[in-house]
Amino acid sequence: MASVLHRAHLAVPVAFILILGCVLPLAVLLVFSVFEVDLDAFTLVPAFSGQSWTQMFTNPVFTFLIGKSVVSGAGTALLAALIGYPIAVSMTRLPVLWKGIGSIVLLTPLYTGEIVRIYAWRVVLGSEGLVNAALKWLGVIDEPVKFLLFSPFTTHLVLLYNNLPFMVLAIWISAELIDKRLIEAARDLGARPIDAFFKVILPLTTPGLAVGVFTVFALAAGDMMTPSLLGGTSGATPMAMIDNLFGTAFDWPLASALSLSLLVILFAFATGFVTILLRFDGARAVFRRGAP
Amino acid sequence: MSRLVILTLGLAVCFFYLPIVVLGIFSFNAASTMAFPLSGFTLSWYADLFGNEAFLGGFVTSFLIAQPVGLLGALIGLMAALAVTSPRMKFRAAFAILVLVPFLVPKTVLSIAQAMLMSWVGLGRGATALILAQTLVVIPFTTTILAAVMVRLDPRLEEAARDLGATPWQSFRRVLLPQLSVALSAAYSIGVILSLADLTISMFLAGRTQPLSLIVASEFRRELKPDLNAMQVAVLVLTVLIVALTEINRRRRLRGRMAHIRDDL
Repeated sequence: MASVLHRAHLAVPVAFILILGCVLPLAVLLVFSVFEVDLDAFTLVPAFSGQSWTQMFTNPVFTFLIGKSVVSGAGTALLAALIGYPIAVSMTRLPVLWKGIGSIVLLTPLYTGEIVRIYAWRVVLGSEGLVNAALKWLGVIDEPVKFLLFSPFTTHLVLLYNNLPFMVLAIWISAELIDKRLIEAARDLGARPIDAFFKVILPLTTPGLAVGVFTVFALAAGDMMTPSLLGGTSGATPMAMIDNLFGTAFDWPLASALSLSLLVILFAFATGFVTILLRFDGARAVFRRGAP
Repeated sequence: MSRLVILTLGLAVCFFYLPIVVLGIFSFNAASTMAFPLSGFTLSWYADLFGNEAFLGGFVTSFLIAQPVGLLGALIGLMAALAVTSPRMKFRAAFAILVLVPFLVPKTVLSIAQAMLMSWVGLGRGATALILAQTLVVIPFTTTILAAVMVRLDPRLEEAARDLGATPWQSFRRVLLPQLSVALSAAYSIGVILSLADLTISMFLAGRTQPLSLIVASEFRRELKPDLNAMQVAVLVLTVLIVALTEINRRRRLRGRMAHIRDDL
């Protein structure tokens, strides 16, 4: 009996659930994208038509929206890396007890709901909110600054806020794995702190950086609620468009084609980023020999 | 610790907590508009919550949906973690990638694909659909938590149990499971928290079911009101409470185990 059933076999039901719940829906998108839609009867007509794909590539609105979401994902990932890196490195310098507290402090904002975070920023940036009140008190402005709310600026600030903890966490974990003696050795051999950083710490943390960039890019580019609730007129995203096509316009083939394009482009970009990051020697060495 | 480290972390904490603190302040502010200067302390926004049936209904719905998501997420995560950490696992890398799919694919794309499939085969959207979809998204998190603990366990304990004649089920039940109890409760908490926090999946799959996040989203598309602040603070406190209880539980068990080992010595 022991040889018949083994814990590795538990993978089978789990794989079944994941394929049924995640892979199959994505595969069905591919099928739907070549169907046609009968708007009089509100039914999908099984066909093999390139109609939705032609629309997808010829209508500049779609390409524009996808481009916009890629740019905003990439921008968020870049900013999160620049801001998250010093935070993560600082975390490694904390005494052991404070590291536990630090991780809780870092993670708690992640646990608050999407809606709480979006809502709270609206309160901070509103026309009577904290920022405007402070600027008014300081005498910098007389009238509330309007661009703070319902603008690309707000959307990107909140995208950064929502995703920064993922970046910090990814870099922090990889920075903790660095053998401290490597840095000491670099110092002993006469490296200035800046050299030690670029030649030792940065290359050894590139795997973490790569994970962080991938995660933040995918999360930020695929976010629909933040732009839609904070972006105002600039809040249109491919996802909101897909939602409209699916719900209101009943154009499932086009909605499917758009979803798939978004998915493929996101993965292509994210993989591209990660490949470039992993060009660093140190990162390659970590992958070849395992963590130091 | 250098000053630079303290400064960096101080700024980071300010950024992370600024919106939450502002939310908290306005939830106790007497005026009905959210503006500075503050006009006095009140608890009336919190009192209003208990009279607001839409909020209370939404909260009950969210809570009831979060329970099965937490339990199913922990159970499936346990199975996945057992499989992926098994020495006999054959397609480990492929399986690990499959487990991560719900995390890697943007939630919006995944939810809309699920919504389309469900409408197509005639399954209704609603509480059941929402529970299933949220559970799938939770699996990568619970699996990671449980697998991280499993790889650190001593395999000799299980081998010893086998040598002493335990069946695989007995060694799982008596040796492995007790060592995983804390990780399992953490996995359950993560599932509950992610379910309570979710807005995107609910958007596409809730149907006529109205979890709290959807009610709040539709409320604040219209206007910002201080009772919404109070609501958000209440949800936040609840979430922090779940995290804190899980952490305290973990530390207590850990200390208990250490004491046990000391006694044995």
